[in-house]
Amino acid sequence: MFDNFLFLSSAALTVCGALAVVLAPNLMHACTYLLTTLIGVSGLYVTLSADFLAATQLVVYVGGVVILMLFAIMLTGGNDNKSVNKFGIEKVAPMGNAKTFTLAGFSALIMALVILKIIANVNKATPKTELPPYETTVEKIGELLITDHVLAFEISSVLLLGALIGAALIARPRRREE
Amino acid sequence: MITLSSYLAISFALFVCGIAVMIARKNIIAILLGIELILNSAALNFAAYTRFVNHNLDGHIMSLFIIVIAAAEAAVGLAIVIRFFQIRESIHIDDATQLLQ
Repeated sequence: MFDNFLFLSSAALTVCGALAVVLAPNLMHACTYLLTTLIGVSGLYVTLSADFLAATQLVVYVGGVVILMLFAIMLTGGNDNKSVNKFGIEKVAPMGNAKTFTLAGFSALIMALVILKIIANVNKATPKTELPPYETTVEKIGELLITDHVLAFEISSVLLLGALIGAALIARPRRREE
Repeated sequence: MITLSSYLAISFALFVCGIAVMIARKNIIAILLGIELILNSAALNFAAYTRFVNHNLDGHIMSLFIIVIAAAEAAVGLAIVIRFFQIRESIHIDDATQLLQ
């Protein structure tokens, strides 16, 4: 009962948020709708008994990536949807016009057909077995991270350090040479 | 009611929405939003398969690394966007036509 309720509400939040990201005419609103999608995915992780993953999703995505995106939107002039650039030359509106949305619709349709074809075969092959009961995964994930997957763990820490230094180097203010 | 197919359907919807966002928008940050949607759908698929088919925790580890790499990608991508805005005073994808300043 509770599972079904959590699953249905998270799924509705996820799918409606994703549709709103596609259709929102304002970049700030699109970013906020992405927030609802990410919270919905975190709820879906809970129904999959992936509690550590759900917490990580909330901390990293909702608390980190979306805030970073909002900062970047505000630092780059927000959501002006002008279809003329600074030289007065016409260009496509930044949030898309009817032509780009038609193009995107057709591409998404082709993609959808391909994926549905693959999913149809997968569903037939899925075995029906008894699901394991809900239990916490934090302890086992911690063990796996420092035994089986220790190389990937170390590489990802070096990757994060590199990304941190690289982002700070790239985004620093431009030096005036003249 | 909660089966593997329902999770696959949600992940499918997320992926298609991400593709549509990436193609329809001309703003670089909006395109990054679409990439986040696609990465989330992949991570959700890993978690769903590990619950319904594998019964071990390898999918969780994989989703965890997807989240970590998505965070690094967002940080570097947004730094590049801010640098691009400092040089061109625009974040329109059609203005990104040069490697030189």
